[in-house]
Amino acid sequence: MRVTQSMLTHSSLRHLSQSYQNLHTLQNQLSTGKKISRASQDPVVAMNGMRYRTQATEVSQFKRNLSEVYNWMDNADAVMDKTGSTLHRVRELAVQASNDTYEETQRKNMAQEIRQLREHLESLANTKVNNKFIFNGTNTKDAPLSADKINMGIEVLAEDPASHVITYNSEVYELDAEHEGEGLVFRKADSNETITITDLGGENQELIFNNGSGQTNELLERQIVVSEKGAVSTNNEKVEIELMKGVNVPVNVNPGKVFSADFFGDIIQLEKALEDPATTSEELIGLIASFDRQIEKVVNERAELGARYNRVEMIDDRIQEQEVIAKRILSENEDVDIEKVITELLAAENVHRAALASTSRIMQPTLMDFLR
Amino acid sequence: MTSTFHGLETARRALATQQAALHTTGHNIANANTPGYTRQRVNFTQTEAFPSPSFNKPGIPGQIGTGVKAGEIQRVREAFLDTQLRTESNKHGYWEGRHTALHKMEDIMNEPTENGLANTMDRFWQSLQDLAVHPEDSGARSVVRERGIALAETFNHTYESLEAIQRDYQNQIGVQTNKVNSLLTQINNINKQIAGVEPHGYLANDLYDQRDLLVDELSQYINIKVEQVGSGGLSKEVADGRYTIKLLNDEGKETGFTLVDGRSLESNEIHFTYAGEDGSGPVNGIFIAPAKIMDDIDHVNELHGDSRAIFLESMEDFNSPGKLWATIEAYGYNDKSGNEKGLYPDMMKELDLMAATFAAEFNAVHSTGWSMSEIEEGTKSGYNFFAFAEVTGQPSINPDTGNIAGAAKRLMLHSDMEDLNNIAASGAARNGVEREEAFSGDGSNALALAGVKDATLNFGSTRTNIQTYYQGVIGEMAVKTNEAERMTKNTAVLKDSVEERRQSVSGVSLDEEMSNLIQFQHAYNAAARNITTVDEMLDRIINGMGVVGR
Repeated sequence: MRVTQSMLTHSSLRHLSQSYQNLHTLQNQLSTGKKISRASQDPVVAMNGMRYRTQATEVSQFKRNLSEVYNWMDNADAVMDKTGSTLHRVRELAVQASNDTYEETQRKNMAQEIRQLREHLESLANTKVNNKFIFNGTNTKDAPLSADKINMGIEVLAEDPASHVITYNSEVYELDAEHEGEGLVFRKADSNETITITDLGGENQELIFNNGSGQTNELLERQIVVSEKGAVSTNNEKVEIELMKGVNVPVNVNPGKVFSADFFGDIIQLEKALEDPATTSEELIGLIASFDRQIEKVVNERAELGARYNRVEMIDDRIQEQEVIAKRILSENEDVDIEKVITELLAAENVHRAALASTSRIMQPTLMDFLR
Repeated sequence: MTSTFHGLETARRALATQQAALHTTGHNIANANTPGYTRQRVNFTQTEAFPSPSFNKPGIPGQIGTGVKAGEIQRVREAFLDTQLRTESNKHGYWEGRHTALHKMEDIMNEPTENGLANTMDRFWQSLQDLAVHPEDSGARSVVRERGIALAETFNHTYESLEAIQRDYQNQIGVQTNKVNSLLTQINNINKQIAGVEPHGYLANDLYDQRDLLVDELSQYINIKVEQVGSGGLSKEVADGRYTIKLLNDEGKETGFTLVDGRSLESNEIHFTYAGEDGSGPVNGIFIAPAKIMDDIDHVNELHGDSRAIFLESMEDFNSPGKLWATIEAYGYNDKSGNEKGLYPDMMKELDLMAATFAAEFNAVHSTGWSMSEIEEGTKSGYNFFAFAEVTGQPSINPDTGNIAGAAKRLMLHSDMEDLNNIAASGAARNGVEREEAFSGDGSNALALAGVKDATLNFGSTRTNIQTYYQGVIGEMAVKTNEAERMTKNTAVLKDSVEERRQSVSGVSLDEEMSNLIQFQHAYNAAARNITTVDEMLDRIINGMGVVGR
């Protein structure tokens, strides 16, 4: 083939530009650390890159969510721990008081201590973490417990019995509308146990407890505790936080199972019993059983929380692992192997130098240089 | 017996001919770097020998040579390579044009990076997760709103950038059309000049070169076929004649349209029309009209109904590949059934579909939830999160009725969202049943909103989640760009190799010209020396003979 100067110039230029392009690509890879800088360089890497990035973002978000989950659970656990030990102290005092050797003033002092413990429990129920009430289900803005609406005195029932409840021996009784005309009948939910109040506030005021199968006994006014219905929140909804795709973990304890109306009712009932000199030790022993029930409820709820905590820890482990994997995959997909690129760069540079050198050798001499 | 001065005449002819060759060599050297120049060669022919065989020929032995003459000055060119080069250059023009368009689009889409739409969506999703964790926190709410705005703005910005490039491409179509028309006119003009020269037996080499260069250039824009038409008269056999240029389709077959007519020496012009009355919208037709009538009219639309112009209603009838077609394809055109097609319109439609589908689903989930203000009031108003800007003179965007053109450009936050407390984070519908009440600490709806990212939605005929859909869109674009880039490179290689072969035939080699120069110089010198010898011989005859004894 006939070769002319301009062909040489052209092809030299083309080769030089090609090796420049090569250098450019390698240079880009080195300075960005990425295999590709545009999607078209490798569509598969680009598409995977988008997916892996999303994955990595998700994992790091779930990790962030995790800290909030721990926040809720750790605080709830700590409060339940304190609640448990406080209840134990109350029970201790009840046991102590049930010993008939104590005098009236000593019992009153015990009642004093119990009142303090109750107030402590009230403040525990209204625990606020991060500006949220953690024992009020999803209603984290309002305090779950209004202490002044508990223990209203029996008189309030005369006015508006429907919006009040009675607690007695760890149970809650609500007004039963079916029994109109027979005095005020309060019934325990889902059972036939009733407390009937006749001649409220009158001389012949009577409180009759019916165990549902016809067995009745009369109650003293101090044995029951009347509270407003909203005194203890009944929002038992779960606060859920997503920790993995589609895995929502409830982070709050069910407040209805711990700080319920009967929980505080039982304590107040004990306080009142201790303040009444006529209270027998048998009655006090009977009340101890209430505290056993309450302690059991707290323990159960705490155990449930603990179990859930374990599960969260397992999820945590998995997220940590996933994070590492996600980042590794992301890196494997789009990060360059620096050693490889540098080696390639050196090779490309050699080629480029050779191209430059040969171009300079070829381009210069023509026949003109040798013709005299 | 030959003439006494026969030797002088023979040598004189040699001198003149070698001189002509030297001049041509000079011309070649001078044009060594002229684009489109074809090296020229003087065809030496021996002059008629003496005596010519006839009845009254003189009785001398044999025939005696009478020297040389310059037959014609011819271009050294291989027509087949021209055809090949034009085919390759046409393909290269198309793929290069297409690659540039896609490359720009890729720049705009900017994936995968930390600033693309995908990342904005991820961040929006994160803010919703944070809101789900802290539903009562107004800080989390404002982050959701800001990220929502960022998402809408990313859609707007991407769409508007695509629009800007698309507008650019409309200008490009105009510029390229003018270029093509100008090339056609110029070729026709050169045709006319050649038609004036060739019948006299001349070869218009430099005009041929110019014309070939123009045809080469034209072949980048549209696919063409060149036919030669003889000029008649005393035209030389090696004359190139006039060119008739015909339009070819993407299969390389004739479309039946002649752009330059070598016989009638007339040329046509092409003009595109647009769907919009103000000259906007997709290309929806093309006129092929004689250049001479274009001066009489002010606007292309006046050609409608003109019997001299041909109107192609569908761009699919003008399916001639090349740079021009790549530009039209990037800008957008109406196909036979009136649907808009094209790289940029397609991408814009994808964005519209994504924005509209996502916003509709997001709003649907949002409006079932309870916001802080609704919780406080105790009644649900059902606020929307996203909305579409109203533009005067354009229909409202409504994903339900299917009118989503421009959705990505007009996506914004609903005015309800001016109040942060109207973001509905709480009380997600359970099993499709809306809730009667909700509380501020409940982040379930925020979680449901975060879930929209992964929800299977209906994108036209595809059912998938928005991320996967977007990945598909980007993937398709990337593959197209990749293909265009590869084809650009491949066609460039082919084009270059043909160009090289053509150069190999037609290019000027200085070394070669220098050797020729020496060769012709020596021949010239030798001829001159020949004259000297004959001169000495004649001197002997004239001055040295018949002087015996003087």
